[in-house]
Amino acid sequence: MQIAKSRDDLLGSSDLRVDCRSIRRRVAAALYASGGGHYGGSLSVVEILAVLCRDFVFTRERGDDTRDKLILSKGHAAIALYATLAQLGRLEPSLLLRYGTLQSGLEGHPDMLLTRDIDFSTGSLGQGLSVGIGMALALRASARRVWVVLGDGECQEGQVWEAAILAARHGLTNLTAIVDANGSQDFGFAQNPDLPQSPLPEIPSIWSAFGWHVAEVDGHDVNALHGALSAAKSNLSKPSVVVANTRKGAGVELFERMPTEFHCTRLTSDQHRRVMKELA
Amino acid sequence: MEKLGHVCGERIAEIAESRNEIWVLDGDLADSDGAEIFARRHRDRFVNAGIAEQAMVSVAAGLAACGLRPWVFSFSAFLCCRAYDQIRVCVSQTHLPVVLIGSHAGGLSNKNGKSHTILNDIALMATLPHVEVWAPADRDDAVFCIDQIDAARRAAYVRLPREPLPSIGGAAAKIRWLGKPCRLAIVSAGLSTHWAMAAAALLRDRGIEISVLHFCQIWPVDAAHVADLLSEVEQAFVLEDHYAAGGQASILLSLGLPLKIVSLAWPSDWSGQSGKPLDVLKLFQLDPAGIANRISAALGSSLFSALTPQLL
Repeated sequence: MQIAKSRDDLLGSSDLRVDCRSIRRRVAAALYASGGGHYGGSLSVVEILAVLCRDFVFTRERGDDTRDKLILSKGHAAIALYATLAQLGRLEPSLLLRYGTLQSGLEGHPDMLLTRDIDFSTGSLGQGLSVGIGMALALRASARRVWVVLGDGECQEGQVWEAAILAARHGLTNLTAIVDANGSQDFGFAQNPDLPQSPLPEIPSIWSAFGWHVAEVDGHDVNALHGALSAAKSNLSKPSVVVANTRKGAGVELFERMPTEFHCTRLTSDQHRRVMKELA
Repeated sequence: MEKLGHVCGERIAEIAESRNEIWVLDGDLADSDGAEIFARRHRDRFVNAGIAEQAMVSVAAGLAACGLRPWVFSFSAFLCCRAYDQIRVCVSQTHLPVVLIGSHAGGLSNKNGKSHTILNDIALMATLPHVEVWAPADRDDAVFCIDQIDAARRAAYVRLPREPLPSIGGAAAKIRWLGKPCRLAIVSAGLSTHWAMAAAALLRDRGIEISVLHFCQIWPVDAAHVADLLSEVEQAFVLEDHYAAGGQASILLSLGLPLKIVSLAWPSDWSGQSGKPLDVLKLFQLDPAGIANRISAALGSSLFSALTPQLL
């Protein structure tokens, strides 16, 4: 595989917002080609992954042996990570259209044994933050950091909070969690309007109560994300979490309007054409 | 008489003296499961994960993904069941060399009772790809087992009983005869090897020639090696501190060996209960006399039964 050699090669554009548009197109094309998939959670996390990958994890300055670690704990958004890697020139773009097919090297959920640049296998929700703690403990004496991307629905898993307690106890300042707070989950609670509808109400105050340093940003604003992730690096006493408020299915009006319907689905050819036109 | 958890903890602490990549994690039971020795000697490489087995196993996998060698201690019931999905996803599916040391495995939980009892851990762990299953029976076995796993750099589960155990004698090996191979065998592992040795002695007193084939490593098995070891055996009684389903008898049956295999195990409808070890064993005829009687009875009736595998 041809690997990009310089920052200019790494990006199709100097403007990350343009790249995010391209990543969204790659995601939509790949999901349609594979017969459907997680549109909502893959499109909400695009800016988060683009900023993380370009500016923090796969930077030109550091090679594979010294770079930061990235865990996509919400593994169902795998195609967004693959598309980001393709955008950065780290993965052959044509492979994306074989996503989830036999021996394509791009499993439905990230697989560290099969795909380069995948630092840990995920898919069973709630486990990535604990894995990140292990990595952060192992890399504590180095300059390397660990970034873990979670979903807000994923934060319903008890293991996330086991990890939150443990990371705070150990004061792991080299560990940062990013919550893609897209406000929706698979089936959700709409059948009972009397219940709170958010996957995890009061996200920032909960993390804060668990002893984490919390920042809240617009998860589609690449500059705000970059600022919050940079600030997390200078936090010297606690693990940090960036709560990135996003829109499920961001970039496609139909998805944003009906987040539950487009959490994981297949599109008609008509719908797909309209989606690609909207993302053009 | 030694608790094998402590022997394992001590051995790992010894290995770690010259090996900085060795870490130990524990689910807040270090004073009972054997991790305590490591915690005292290598506090910088010891993590009390707290009462949080799921996070503990995934943290260990994160350490292993960075090239370290984590050993994870807890009671078997909590380690295997509470963290099963984490073992499946973070350990088995990643091929990372995370080793799980499960103490208090099997039916003899003493006062703890059913909540602390696990009788299907071999079934759970032997059905996870790339995870070895070991059951040492004494100090030498435990040290051998730790050294073998360490050298192999693979994921493994070590099942240990709560009870302190005496030596079974001889030199440790993955599988070995305790006594001379003969037509009748009791196949066992870990704690049940001690029951098997006592029962075999009683049977020999009754004039029945029978020897014990002890498995220190339960899974995976080298089928050809096991077939060779059992080449003289016509009937094997698989005595296990586990349910019959998914345990050693199941594994042996799956090898399709030309011998009759009879399982002596905990009843499938029993979940464990509080009680002194011998009292609990007697309740299910798994005390030495009970085992000897069951084997005598089976041999008496075997004249009339076909040479087909069966689970009693």
